[in-house]
Parts: sequence; C-alpha cells; structure tokens
Amino acid sequence: MHAMIDEKTSTPPLLSIFILSSAALAYEVLLIRLFSIIHWHHFSFMVISIALLGYGVSGSFITLFRNRLLQHYKSVFIINIVLFGLSSIACFITIQQLPFNALEILWDSSQWQRLLLSYLLLTLPFLFVANAIALTMMRFNQQIPLVYGIDLIGAGLGAVFIMALLQILTPDTLLRVLAISGLSAGFFALSNFNKTQRRVTVSILLLSISGVFMMPQAWLDLHLSEYKGLSQTLLMKDVSLSHTHSSPISQTDVVQSPFIPFRNAPGLSLQSPVGPPEQLAVFRDGDEMTTIDHVTDNSSLEYHDYMSSALPYHVHPSTQNVLISGSASGAQILQAHSRKISTIDAVEPDKQLSRLITDVYAEYFDWQSLKDKVTIHAISPRGFAAAENNYDLIIMGPSGASSGGSAGVHALSTSYEFTIEALQSYLQLLAPDGLLSLTLWTSTPARGNLKLFVTAVEAMRQSGIDKPENNIAWIRSWNTATLLLKKDHLTTDEINRVREFSDSRNFDLAWLPDISENEVNRFQLLQIPVYYLTAKSVLDNSDTRFIRQYQYNIQPATDNRPYFNNYFKWSSLQEFLSLPGQTGISMIGVGYPTLLVTLAQATVAAFVLILLPLFFIRKQQNKSADRRGNIIIYFLTIGLGFLFIEIAFIQKFTLILSQPLYAVAVTLCAFLVFSGLGSLYVQYRLRTETAAAITVLLHRSILLIGLITVIYIVLLPLISNSIMVLPETVRILSAFILSAPLAFAMGMPFSLGLAAMQHNTPHLIPWAWGINGCASVLSAVLAVLLAIEIGFNGVMLCAVMLYFLAWRNGIKIAS
Amino acid sequence: MSAKHLIVGIFALLVCMHSGIPGADNYRVQRMNMISDIQDDVRRTERFINKKSFNAAVMQAMEKVPRHEFVPTELLSRAYENRPLPIGFGQTISQPYIVGLMTDLLHPRADQSVLEIGTGSGYQAAILSQLVARVYSIEIIEQLGNATTKLLSRLGYDNIKTHIADGYNGWPEHAPYDSIIVTAAISHIPPPLVQQLKKGGRMVIPVGTRFQTQYLTMVEKDLQGKVTTRQVLPVIFVPFTGGH
Repeated sequence: MHAMIDEKTSTPPLLSIFILSSAALAYEVLLIRLFSIIHWHHFSFMVISIALLGYGVSGSFITLFRNRLLQHYKSVFIINIVLFGLSSIACFITIQQLPFNALEILWDSSQWQRLLLSYLLLTLPFLFVANAIALTMMRFNQQIPLVYGIDLIGAGLGAVFIMALLQILTPDTLLRVLAISGLSAGFFALSNFNKTQRRVTVSILLLSISGVFMMPQAWLDLHLSEYKGLSQTLLMKDVSLSHTHSSPISQTDVVQSPFIPFRNAPGLSLQSPVGPPEQLAVFRDGDEMTTIDHVTDNSSLEYHDYMSSALPYHVHPSTQNVLISGSASGAQILQAHSRKISTIDAVEPDKQLSRLITDVYAEYFDWQSLKDKVTIHAISPRGFAAAENNYDLIIMGPSGASSGGSAGVHALSTSYEFTIEALQSYLQLLAPDGLLSLTLWTSTPARGNLKLFVTAVEAMRQSGIDKPENNIAWIRSWNTATLLLKKDHLTTDEINRVREFSDSRNFDLAWLPDISENEVNRFQLLQIPVYYLTAKSVLDNSDTRFIRQYQYNIQPATDNRPYFNNYFKWSSLQEFLSLPGQTGISMIGVGYPTLLVTLAQATVAAFVLILLPLFFIRKQQNKSADRRGNIIIYFLTIGLGFLFIEIAFIQKFTLILSQPLYAVAVTLCAFLVFSGLGSLYVQYRLRTETAAAITVLLHRSILLIGLITVIYIVLLPLISNSIMVLPETVRILSAFILSAPLAFAMGMPFSLGLAAMQHNTPHLIPWAWGINGCASVLSAVLAVLLAIEIGFNGVMLCAVMLYFLAWRNGIKIAS
Repeated sequence: MSAKHLIVGIFALLVCMHSGIPGADNYRVQRMNMISDIQDDVRRTERFINKKSFNAAVMQAMEKVPRHEFVPTELLSRAYENRPLPIGFGQTISQPYIVGLMTDLLHPRADQSVLEIGTGSGYQAAILSQLVARVYSIEIIEQLGNATTKLLSRLGYDNIKTHIADGYNGWPEHAPYDSIIVTAAISHIPPPLVQQLKKGGRMVIPVGTRFQTQYLTMVEKDLQGKVTTRQVLPVIFVPFTGGH
C-alpha cells in the first residue's frame, strides 16, 4: 500500500482528523453507556479510564517507529482509520464473549486476567486514533497547532453528536454507526492519490463499511451480567419485556410478570393488612428496580400508608401542597394522592421515567385522575429548589433498589441532592409550618442515613436554627429510615402523632425532641442503637467524637464535595482488611477501592509507557537528553491540569444546568471547541511571528488560566443560584460563555509546547504526545480522588499549581 | 475387567486429572478443611455472633453433605473453598460459613419443619434435611428448580419437598413452620411468611449483593405473636472502638 504515498502532500487531512476525533470521543462516551448497561457504572469508569491509555501507547509506538511510519504516512494513516473502525466494534464484541464477572473479582483471581484482556482490547481503538492524529502532527510539523485544534474541535462536537444520537438510537446500533463514521474518515484523506491508489483505498473502506453494516445484529446484542436485577427477573415464569427505551442517561426497561407479582413496597410495615397491587417493574441500566403501580381504586393504594415515608402525612394530616423530589416511576405521587393532597409538584430529571407514567402506561397508572393536580418538572431537584415556591411538605426518596448503596457502587457518583446547601434550599422552600421528609434505604452497618442526619443538622444550624434537636423526628423500619425536619419546633401534638404512627406500624423511633433511651430499638433490633446514638451525639454541639470515630465517613456532603455516597475512611482501612475472608472488602464498598485500583493500574502503565521509549531513544539520540525532564513535567502537568479543570467544570455546571447530561455535553463541547480555537490561534500567531512568540504566548496563556480559574473558584458559587433559575437556553448559553475564555487559554499550552519542540527536539514530539495521553488518563482518576478528599475547588487550585509548574518547564523547552 | 472397561477407566482418570476433579477421599479431606475454615471464621467473629462454635449437629451436617455435588462441574475443584460460587442463572451457592451461620441461627431440631424460599443449588436444603424432619423449598426460576429437584432426588434427600412457585406466599399447605429461611432479594418482609411462622419461630434473611453477603436479618415471632427483627453481622463491626 505504500506505493500510494505522495510525498508532495502539503495539506493535512483536516476533515479526516475532524471526523476521526469526533468518532473517537463519541465512542468513549458510548463505551461508558455500554459498560454501565452490561456491568456497573464503577466498572465502566475503570475500564474506560485504562482504555484511554491507548493514547499513551501510541506515543511510545510512534517514538519507536517514527521514521518508518512517517515514510509511509498516507498508508499508515488510512490503515489506522480502518483499524479504528473495525476494532471499535470487534473489541466490544470480543469483550462481551469473555466470561467476566465484576462482582467475583475479589474471590476469583482468574477474573483479573479477563479484566486485563478487556483493557488490552479496548486500548486498541484509541491507539489507532491516536496514531493517526499524532502521525499527522509529525508529518505536517509546521501545522501542529492547526491539526491539534481540529482534533479538539472534532472531539468537542463529537460529545454533542453522541448525546443527540443516544436520544434516538440504541447503544448497540450506535456502535455500528460510530464504526462506519470512523471508517468514512478515510474517504476524506484521498487527495493526491492517483487513480489506482484511490480505487484500492475506496475498495478497502467500502468493504470494511459493508462488513460492519452487514454484521449480524445478534453479535451486537448486549449481554447483561446475569447478576443484574433485569437478567434475574427475566428468568421468572411468564415474564416479558414490555417496553425499552434508551437515552444518554440510562436504558429503561419495563417488565411485566402476570404470573409472579413484583410486590415492591420498600420498608412496608409488618403490621400492614394490605400489600402492593399488581405492578410493572422498571429497571434502569438493568438494575435499580422501581415499580409502577396498577391503580384500580383507592384500596390499591392503601399499602402506601404503611411505609415509613407516610409519616409526614400523619404528622400534618391537613397538608395541601406537596413537592416530590425524584418522583421516578410515581410511587411517591401515589402516596400523596392516596392522602388526598390537592396540589402535587413532582421533580424528575429523567423525562423518560416520567413519560412512562404520563404516557406509555398512563392508563395502567390512572394518570387521567391525577393529571389535574400533578405537575411533573423535568429538572434536577436543586434546579427546582432555586425557584421561589412554598410547600407544606417536601418529600424525597427512597429511590431504586436497596442493594446498590450498601455495596458502594455509587461511591463515585456525585449528588447535589443531599448536600448542606441542598437541604438549606429545601428548607427555604417550606411554608413556615412545613415539613421536609427524607427517606433512605438503611444499610448495615449504618452509614447513609447517619450521614444524612449529620448533613441535615448542619444545614439547619447554618440556616439559623439554633436548637435543631427540637425540630427533628427520625424513625426507621427494617430497611428504610425517614427523617422529618421542620423549621420551627415540633409541637406536642406532632410529636405524639409520630409516636402513634411508629407504634402502630412497629417502626422504631430514632429521634424525637423528648425521646428517652428505653423508647429506641424495640422492633427492629440493632446490636447497638446506632441511629439514636448518632442523633444524640450530633445534636450535642460539643461532642463530635462519634462522627470522628465512626468507621465510615459520615461527615456532611457539600456542593464542593458532593460525594454523599462515599463513606470510605482511610483510618478504618486496616480494621476492615483485618476482617475474616473477603468481608472486609465488602464492608469498604467497591467504589473507592475501584478508584484506587484504577489509579494504581494507570500509574504503573503510564510509568512504563513514558519511560519505555526513553530507553530506546537514548540509543538513538543523546543530544536532547537535557530537556527530557522538562518535557515530562511540562506535558504531564498540562495534561493533568486540563482535565482537572474540565472535570471540575462538569461538576460546577451540573448544578447550574440542573442536568448531569447537559453538563457533560456542554462542558466537553465548550472546553474542547474553545481549546481547539485557542490552538488555531496559536497556529495563526506562529505563521506571522518568530519563535519568540511561543514564550510570550506561553506566559500569557498560563497567566490567564491561573487568573480565570481562581476568579471562578470564588465567583461560581456566588452566581450559581442566580443562573439556576434562568430559562434552560440561557443557562446553557451562560455555561458556554463562562467556559470560553478559560478553555481558549487552555488550548494553547499543548500546541505551544509541541511547536517549541518542533524547533528543538522534533524527534521527541510523539513521546510528548504519549506523555500527555497518559496524563489525561491519570487525571480523570486523580481528579475524582482529590475531589472526594479536598473538594472540587481544591482540584481547580491543584490545576492552577500544575499549570504554573508547566510554565517554568515550558520556558526551558522553548528556550 | 475387560480391556474396554480399562480404557474407559484410564480415560476417566485422565479427564479427572485434567479437569482437577478430586476423588472421593480427596473430597472428604477438602470437606474437613472447609469445616476447619468455618471454625476459624466462627472464632474470629466470636464476639460478634456471641458464640465460640456453631451447634455440633450443624457442623456434622456440613461434614456430611457433599458440597461438590451442588456446584457446576467446572468449579468442582473449588467446591469446598470458603467462598460463594456461581451456579448459573445469576445465582450463587452461599459461602459455607454463611450457610453454617444461617442454619445455626435457626436452632434446628429433629422434629421441626422448615420452609426455604429460594432453593437455588439445593445445598442449604440438604444441610437442613440432616437436622430437621421436613424441609419445604420453593424456587422461582423453573429451570433451576427442576434441575435441583432432580439432584436432591438423586442424592436421596427424601425429606426435602420442592416446588416451583412464588415464594412470597409461602407454602400454606404445610404451614406453620418452625423456621423459614429466605434467600431471595425482597423489598419488605412478606406478611404471608410471618403468618406461616409458628409462635416462637425464626426467620433468617441474608441481605446484601451476591458474592458480598454482609449481614443477616433475623425475624423472631415470640410466644405472644409479637414480631421483631434483629440484625446479625457476620463481621466484627462496633462503633466507638477507638482503635484508630
């Protein structure tokens, strides 16, 4: 194929690069979706993080074979495009055939081999894309900022494309679409080919596209882990899948089971004379089952009154208007309806879930009799809480199935629903006599509910409530706990109603203003009445010993550290690991250890990938050895810094945009596109100015990055609430405008570094590319780890420091 | 022995060697090792489960029941490891220590009848069958239930009756039960099961994801019919240890 090379080619295949980068980023996002469906979110995080090391591998690969590859640039470019297209689909199909069980990884060492194989397979598509881009930079070395800029802009728009496509196509179909898109990039790299060369290349591309297009659908069907709730449910007699919908947020499956009813009733009292009616099960990403009740008459809703979440309706029987936060498939709406509430506002960010009860299963759910009094808002609870309304009652949770929380699979997910600031905003929404009711699943040992209590007390104190002990009631069933908060003191009547409700349903009291020790732990016996002890300790201002000494992290979550579901505490690690068998690991939860394992794996791999080429380069070129240290530090620090800021902004924008999905799409798009423009600006400046311009631009861009980041750390918390209440399009526009100057500046250092190396150490450019790729992988994991420990503002400050470190080294590279 | 039998014997031996399938004696040794592992775990969790050892009868039952018969062929070599093992259909055969703990918590006696919700591999039912008069076991997955019924019959566990049904409603025909063991995931404790539990009876429910059983919930119905739940942790966890 190398006969096709035309050395006179002088224009980089920009359109190919654009399509390829776009497809690669879309593929990355798609893989996260696919693995979240077939396995679990935390596993998806680990696999994709490591797979991106393909960029690092590419750097090493090109460094080692630079001359040979450049000699055959056009052929190699096309081959890499074809390999990306084919491997993107083939690797996923192969991984699906591996008998990998993420849950068994702590018990079975052979699972690690399968995991390693998954890593290696998924690294391949990213390796091929990275090869194509890096080689183009090498081949067109006077236009590196231009190529890099187009790469970034393509990737940024790829983020938006994939989000849009996930709205209309299923993930398995998209796998095919992206493979074909990737392959089609080859058609735009045919300039300067002669007729024969063109014919051969087009034939190869068309053949590959046909192969992907005609691939049997069965090969692409998703094989969910057999341990997921949906897989197990589908094994039951006469069960059938009634409805499936895929969105960028989740895959929703509705299952009906006429033979064996689902009977989902979280924490239903043992004293309940009735059970739930016929139900449909709703699974999100094959797990986290919720249900849709079949509403026939009022008797079908009676069971709602025997759950701990019914408490506020008994404390305030005359409640008129209710806000339900996270209405999901409508259980809390029906609970409110059964209590004859006249106005119900429900908040559910996932439109698909709401559509199930208002449209797809409207008749089953009897939406007709609800629609006049229920309004469902497709926004996050925080976004809604920023508006000025007034409610007698605000209800939150429980959501999904109970097992996930205790297994710690959500430890890495951020949540702005249970932070101090969130609870403060809910309290503000309450009418003077209103109630805020929070129900969570219990776990053993207790952690989530204790953290919620600590957060609630702190929120009340920060809201100016001096003696929260008089404003709180807390009860628990065998697997749920309901916390009731009031802005004013609970009256004697209200306290008596809590007692009456709990006694009649065999729920345990965990806290009441006048509680006595012999009232707790009577029905659901805990070895230690840990709920009551926590409440007593936390409400006694002077005693923080309990929180400090508790084995889990139950410090309140904040908007800056919104990891409500992370309970990991380093000081308990040794104690847990000393437990018999694998139970210690189970106690820690899988989320945080996954992060640590991923970081360890990524660090080792990055270390090898960065140092390995040096071993070979030393033999070839000794002259540039003095700058290698600077190059490593420069490209590592700007790689880390870029992603630190980008990840922190995804979180900041989650709050502003009220939708994690928009936050990811908008942040990725804005940061990558504006960074791309920054890189194009570098190209523009370097065309007309001397090499000295590199140093000047480096100074200015890093100074700007530092300055704007620090300003945003202070500014964003102050303006977030004002932006949250604006119309959706204005919020998205605001996010773009806020990102623009920072991202523009952030697009320059990488291009400037490579442009400087083009003058001094051109043979090390692919190595620098690889270092930056490794840094990106490390940063994704490190940023989460740092955010958990020091918060996102801390992550942004670390980024500033990294950029300043880069500055010092960048100057040396440019000199 | 004919040459044909000899060849078959050699072939079988080779297959066993290749697949790591141990012989009967070897299984006995492995079973004893498993018992020893369980005893170690009991000692390590002593202060938590408030006992130095499980009931001797429970341990004898675990010594006797051939666990390797209840695991898939490809996992025979791991049958006696103190860990849960996958058995297909997204189900597991529980960790021997947990099986022992759950059985011990039920205080089984020779004259009792026990209801099990979730037959699974049949191993738990087989252990119980050694200790009580009758075991009634319900499985919701038809294929799994049928396979396990055949297995239990082949192994001669005649006092186990199995049924493919929805465990939520229990098995009213044979109620009331001295003990009930629920191994299925549930959002609430099914009232029919509480009703089918004798006064003074006990129900044990393991809670947690498969491969990560963390604690057991014990439902107790006292002689007056009052029902309480209690959590039993198979791990040491006490707040305020001050150990760090």
